[in-house]
Amino acid sequence: MIVVGGLKVGAIYSLAALGIVVIYKATRVVNFAHGAFVLAGAYATYGVVEAVGLGYWPAYAIVPLATGVLAAAVEMIVLRPIRRADIFALITSTIFIGIGLSEIYRLVQNTEMLGVRNPVSGRPIFIGDVIITKEQIWVFGGALLSSLIGLAIFGYAPLGRGLRALAANPRGAVLCGYSIDGMNAMAWFLGGALAGLAGVFAAPSSGVSPELAVSMITAGFVAAVIGGFDSLRGALFGGLILGVAQTLAAAYISSATANAASFLLLFVVLMWRPEGLFPEAKIRDV
Amino acid sequence: MSRGRLRALGPILAPSGSLLAVAIVGLLLDTYWQYVMAISISAAVIGGALAMLVGYARCITLTTGAMLAIGAYASTLPVVHAGVPFLAALLFATALGAVAGLVLAIPGVRFRSHNLAMITFVFQAVVIIILRESKTLTGGAEGIHVPPPVIFGLSFSNDANFLLLCGALFALVILPIAVLLAGPFGKNLRAIAANENAARAFGIDVRRYLIAAFTWSSAVIAFAGAVSAPRFRIIDPDSYGLMTSIFTLTYPIIGGMGSIWGGLVGGGVLRLFPELLRPLADYIDLAFCVLVVGTLTFFPDGLASAVWTVGRRGRKPSTGSAAIPGVAVARIAELSSATGFAPPTHGGRHGADAPVLTIESVSRSYGALRAVDGVSLSIASGALHGLMGPNGAGKTTLFNLVSGFVRADRGRVLLSGVSLENVPIERRIGLGMTRTFQHAATFQRLSCLDNVMIGLGRNTVFEGTSRSIAAALDRESFRAERRTALSALAAVGLGARADDMASALSLGDQRRLEIARAIASRPRIILLDEPVSGVSAEEAHRLRELLLAVNRELGIAMVVIEHNIRFLVSLCDRISVMSEGKVIAEGDAAAMVDDPRVRKVYFGEREVA
Amino acid sequence: MVDKKLVHRRTILRGAAGLAAAGLVGTKPGSALAQSAQGVTDDEILIGALGQLNGPFAFIGVPGRDNMQIAIDKLNAAGGINGRKLKLLFEQASTPAESVAAAKKLVEDNKVFVLVIATGSTGAAAAADYVRAAKIPTYNTVGATPIIRNPFARNVFHGTIPPASITGQALIDIGFQAVPKARKVGVLAGTYAFPQSHLAEVKPRLEKRGGLEVVVEQFDAAATDYTAQLVSFARHQVELVIILGSFKEAGFAIKQAPEKGLTDAIFVVDGSAVNNAIIPIIGPDNIKKVRGYFNAPYFPTQDDPPMAGYRHLLIEKYNGTLPQGRPNIYDLIGYGSAYVLAEVLKKAGRNLSWDAVIGAWETIVNAKPSDLGGYDIIFPETVTPTDHQGNKKVASAQIINGSWRVVGLAS
Repeated sequence: MIVVGGLKVGAIYSLAALGIVVIYKATRVVNFAHGAFVLAGAYATYGVVEAVGLGYWPAYAIVPLATGVLAAAVEMIVLRPIRRADIFALITSTIFIGIGLSEIYRLVQNTEMLGVRNPVSGRPIFIGDVIITKEQIWVFGGALLSSLIGLAIFGYAPLGRGLRALAANPRGAVLCGYSIDGMNAMAWFLGGALAGLAGVFAAPSSGVSPELAVSMITAGFVAAVIGGFDSLRGALFGGLILGVAQTLAAAYISSATANAASFLLLFVVLMWRPEGLFPEAKIRDV
Repeated sequence: MSRGRLRALGPILAPSGSLLAVAIVGLLLDTYWQYVMAISISAAVIGGALAMLVGYARCITLTTGAMLAIGAYASTLPVVHAGVPFLAALLFATALGAVAGLVLAIPGVRFRSHNLAMITFVFQAVVIIILRESKTLTGGAEGIHVPPPVIFGLSFSNDANFLLLCGALFALVILPIAVLLAGPFGKNLRAIAANENAARAFGIDVRRYLIAAFTWSSAVIAFAGAVSAPRFRIIDPDSYGLMTSIFTLTYPIIGGMGSIWGGLVGGGVLRLFPELLRPLADYIDLAFCVLVVGTLTFFPDGLASAVWTVGRRGRKPSTGSAAIPGVAVARIAELSSATGFAPPTHGGRHGADAPVLTIESVSRSYGALRAVDGVSLSIASGALHGLMGPNGAGKTTLFNLVSGFVRADRGRVLLSGVSLENVPIERRIGLGMTRTFQHAATFQRLSCLDNVMIGLGRNTVFEGTSRSIAAALDRESFRAERRTALSALAAVGLGARADDMASALSLGDQRRLEIARAIASRPRIILLDEPVSGVSAEEAHRLRELLLAVNRELGIAMVVIEHNIRFLVSLCDRISVMSEGKVIAEGDAAAMVDDPRVRKVYFGEREVA
Repeated sequence: MVDKKLVHRRTILRGAAGLAAAGLVGTKPGSALAQSAQGVTDDEILIGALGQLNGPFAFIGVPGRDNMQIAIDKLNAAGGINGRKLKLLFEQASTPAESVAAAKKLVEDNKVFVLVIATGSTGAAAAADYVRAAKIPTYNTVGATPIIRNPFARNVFHGTIPPASITGQALIDIGFQAVPKARKVGVLAGTYAFPQSHLAEVKPRLEKRGGLEVVVEQFDAAATDYTAQLVSFARHQVELVIILGSFKEAGFAIKQAPEKGLTDAIFVVDGSAVNNAIIPIIGPDNIKKVRGYFNAPYFPTQDDPPMAGYRHLLIEKYNGTLPQGRPNIYDLIGYGSAYVLAEVLKKAGRNLSWDAVIGAWETIVNAKPSDLGGYDIIFPETVTPTDHQGNKKVASAQIINGSWRVVGLAS
C-alpha cells in the first residue's frame, strides 16, 4: 500500500524528469527552471478547473499547450542570446529564470496556496489489505500514459527524429535541413508541455504554491540522474524508483528522511554509476 | 621595501585595506548603518571567497548557506554549551568549514556543471536537515541565541566596536585568498576553467586544485558565518537555506567573474540592496532575477568587469607578427641558459644516443574499432619526426596515448627509458614531455605571459601555493620565472604581446603561443598536433624556422602530426605514415612522399605493375 | 595587474557610497522640537512595525500592515490620540538578520516611539532580543514561541496570540469535548518551529491526563504525503488526532486519512489550519470530523455585526475585491492590535515617554477596539505588571455550512 502511494507520486516525478531529459537530450541544457514550469501548469490547471470552471478534460489539453508555449518563449527570448556563452551561464540563467517565474506567480497570486479539486472522487477500492483510491489510479495511469506518449513522440515521430538528430550532430542536422533555432524551440515546447502535464496531475494532491516548483525540480532532477540523464526510459523508471524510495523511507525511518532519501539515492547513483541505470551513449572528451 | 615589492604587494593588500577602510568610514554613521555595513563587508568576504570557486574555477556551488551555517553553529555552540572563548571557537568553526569543503569536494570534483551543482545542492540540503533535526544540540528549527563575542574580556556588543572587529577580522581572512588569486594558484584555476585538457597537460591536477578551491572558500565562508552570527542574535537553520546559497551566487556573477574585486564589490553592494531598497521589498527577489539573467546575457564577465574594460578594450587581432629570426634565435639561446630558474628535472636516461621516446606495440580499441593497432616507434634524442596519414588513421589517438589522455590496451610507452604506464597526465611535463593540441588550446582568458608561465610546469597545488606567496613578496624566484617566460615569448616572436589576452591573438600567433608554452619548461620532447593547420603559407614557413631553431638551440625532440606534407617534409628528418591504426611505412622524409604504399593509402592508386 | 590608482579609487567610491546612502536615508522625519521621547512630536506619534511582506509568510505581514493602516487612518480621522496623529512605518523582516536590521532601522534610524513585531518565529525572537536591550515599548502581536516571552522584559507586551502553553491546552480541551471517552490519541507535528513548540506543550499535558496511549508522528514542512504517519495512527487505532501544522499540511493529512485506514478519528487542528482553504482539500466527507481553535471571537466569514462591519472596511481598502482567503486571522489581529495600542497611548496621556507608556500598558483592563470606535473582532486584552500576555482566551471552531464558525470558548 505504501508502494502504491509511492508509485503515484513517482509517476508525477517521471513526467517532470521526462521533460528535463527531453530538453537536455535535444539542446544539452539542464533546465533548472523546470519546476517553475510545473508550477505554471498547476496554476493554469487551477485557472481552468476552478476559476473558469471548465473541468478537467479541457485542462489536460489546454494546460500542456500553454506551458509548452511558455517554455518555448523562454527559450527563444531569454536563452537564445545566452546560448552562445558557456555552460555555466546557461545553467545559472535557468536557475534564476525559475526563481523569477515563481516570484511572478507569487506577486500575481499572493496567497499561501490555491486548492484544486480532485479529478475523480469516490470510495477507495479494497484489494485485500491494500486500499487504493481512484485518484491514485487515475494519476498513476495518466502520468504514465503521458510519459509513454512523450517517449513515443521523441522516439518515433518525425519531430522526435529531428530532435535526436540535433542532439547527435547539430551541424549535420542543419545540413539535412533542420533549423537549430526551430528545433530548440520545439524541444523546449515538448519539455514544457510535459512539465505542464505534470502540473495538472500534481495540482490536486500538492496544491498550487511556489514550494511546488522547488520540490518538482529537485525530484525531477534526482529522478533524471537515477535514470541516466541521457535516457528517456531512464527518466521514467527513475521517477518511479524515487517515488517509492521516498515513501518507503518516510514510512520506515522518519519523515525527515524522505527528503534525505532522495539525496542519498542521488549521491549513491552519482558515485557508483554516474551514467545512471540506463546509460545510452558514451562520450569521448579529447 | 623595494618598489617592486610594493607593486606586488599593493594589489594583494588592497582588498584588506578597503574592507578596513569601509569599517572605519562606517564609524561615522549611525548605529543602524553600522550594523548594515558590518553585514555588507561580511558579504564582501563571501563574495571574495566565491570569486575563487565560482569566478575563477567556474564551479557552480550551492553550498554557501550550509557553510555559513556550519560556521555560525560551530562557533556558537562551543561558546554557549562549553564556555569556549570566542576566538578559539572562531578558529574551530573555520577549520570545520575547511573540513566540510574537503568532504564535499573529494567525491564532488569528479563532476562538472550540472552534476556538480546537484552534489553541492545535496550537501546544502543535508546540512540543513541535520541542523534542524539535532534539536538537543542546535535547538532545532527554533534556533539558538548567540551571545556577543568576548575577546580577552572585551565584549563587542555595540555596533561600532563590532564593525571594527569585523573590519579587522575580515581584512585578515581575505588576505590568503587575495594572495592565491593574484598568483599562479589563481591563474591555474582559470586555466582549468578555460581548457581542462591543456591544463592537465601542463601539470595542473584539476581535481586537487578544485578540492583546494573548495576547501579554501568553504573555510572563509564559514569564518564569515561565524563572525556575523552574534549580530543576528538568533541563528536558525532556515536562515541558511537554499535561497541564501542562490543569492550569494549572484555576488561574483554580477560583480565580476575575473577578479577578487568582482566578488568583493558584488557582495558588498548587492547585500546592501535589500536595506537600501526597503520600499521595494515586495519586488526585490524578482528584480534580482532579472538583474542576474540580464547580466549573464549582456555582460557574461560581470558588471564590474564590463565597466572596467570599457577603458581598456583589447586590441584587434593582428594578422601576424613579424618574426625577426635573428632576435628570436638569440632569445632562444637565452632561454637555454636562463639563470636562477631550475627547469623541472627530467628523470631517466639522457645522452645523445638513448632514445627519448619509445613506443612499444601500443594498441587501443574502441569496441570493434582498432584506433591504434600495434604501433611501435622510437624517437632519438633531438630528432624531428613527422607523423602523417589520412583522417581516422589514429594519429591523434596515438598522441593521446603517449601524453596520457588515453590508456593503452596493450603495449607501453617509455620516456627516456622510464615506463609511463601509471604516470598520470599531470606528471608527464615533469618527466620532460609537453604537447600542443589540434585546436589551439591556449588559455583564452589569460594573458600570453600567463599562458607561458603555466608552461613552466611546477603546477602542483603545493607549488602553485608557494609560488603565489613568492609572487606576492616579489621574490627573486618568481621574478626569474617571469624572465624565463618572457624569453620564451620573445623566442617565438610574441615578446611585445606579453600582456595581451590570448584571445586577442590571430590563429598563427596562437600557435606560436602554444609553442612558447610548450618550450618554456625546456622539455626533452614536444608532441605537436597540426601546428600549422589553418595558417597561411608564409606563417607556416616562419613557424618552421622557429621550430628548427628551437630544435637546434635547445636540443628538443619533436613529433609532429601534419596534413601539410610539404611542411612536414621540410621540417622533419624521418616520417612515419599511419593508416587504419597501423604504421604502414617509415623512413626518410623525402622518400616517404613517393613511397607507393603511402600513395595508396592517400589516393588509392592502383599498383603500377 | 591591478592598477593601484583604480584600487584607491574603488576604496573611496565604496566609502562615499556608504556615506551617501546613509545620508539619504538618515534624515529624520518631522520636527525636532521639545521631544521628551523619540518618535513624538507636537502632532505626530511614529509607530514602527516589522513583518514579512514577501516570501512564504507574506500572508502574515501584508495583512498586518494593511490593517494597522486601516485602523490608524480611522483613528486619525476621528482626531488622533490626545491631539496627535499616528504614523505607521512598516518594514520588511523575515530572517533573524533582516528582523534585527528592520528593528534597528526603525528604532535607531527612524526613531519610532513604539515598535510592533508582526512577524512570527525566529525573526520575532531575534527582534525581541534586540528590543529587550533597546528598552523601547514593544508589542508582539502574532508570535507564539516561548523565545519571545523569555526572559521576561518589562517593555515587551504580547497581544492576541497566546503562548503555546495556552493554545496547546486548548487543543486538548477541544479534542476531548468532541471525543470525551478517547483513550488513544495521535499527535501529528511538523518539524519546524511553531508546531514543535506546540508539541512541547501538548505532549506532557496529554501524558499528565493519565490513562492515555499517545502516539506522536512528525512530518517535514510542506510535506504532501502522510502515508507513513497515518498508517501508524491506524495501526494504533487512535480515536483523536491533534494536528500541529499549516492548513495545507493538515488538509492533506486529513484527506489521506481514510485511504490509509484511519476512517473514524476526529481531528483537531491548530489556529493556522482554521482557514477556509482547507475545506476543498479535505473534501465533503471529512468536514464533520474536524475541529480547531481560533484566536478571535468570530471567524472572518461570520455575519455577526462587528465582523460584518469590519469586512466592509477591508473591502473598501482593497477597492472592492478581496484577495482569496482574506480576511484571515492576521487581518483581524492587525486591525484590533492597532486599536489596543492606540488605547494604551491614549491612557499614557499627552506627556509621552517610554515609562509612561509602559506604566499605562501594564494596567490596561479589557482594552478593545470599540473603546475608540472600532469593531470588536479580537478578544479584549488585559495586562498586569507581572503578566504581559494581553489575551488568554481561545475560541473553539467547527466547519458549518461550508465555512468555519466559532462555536464557543475552548475551555
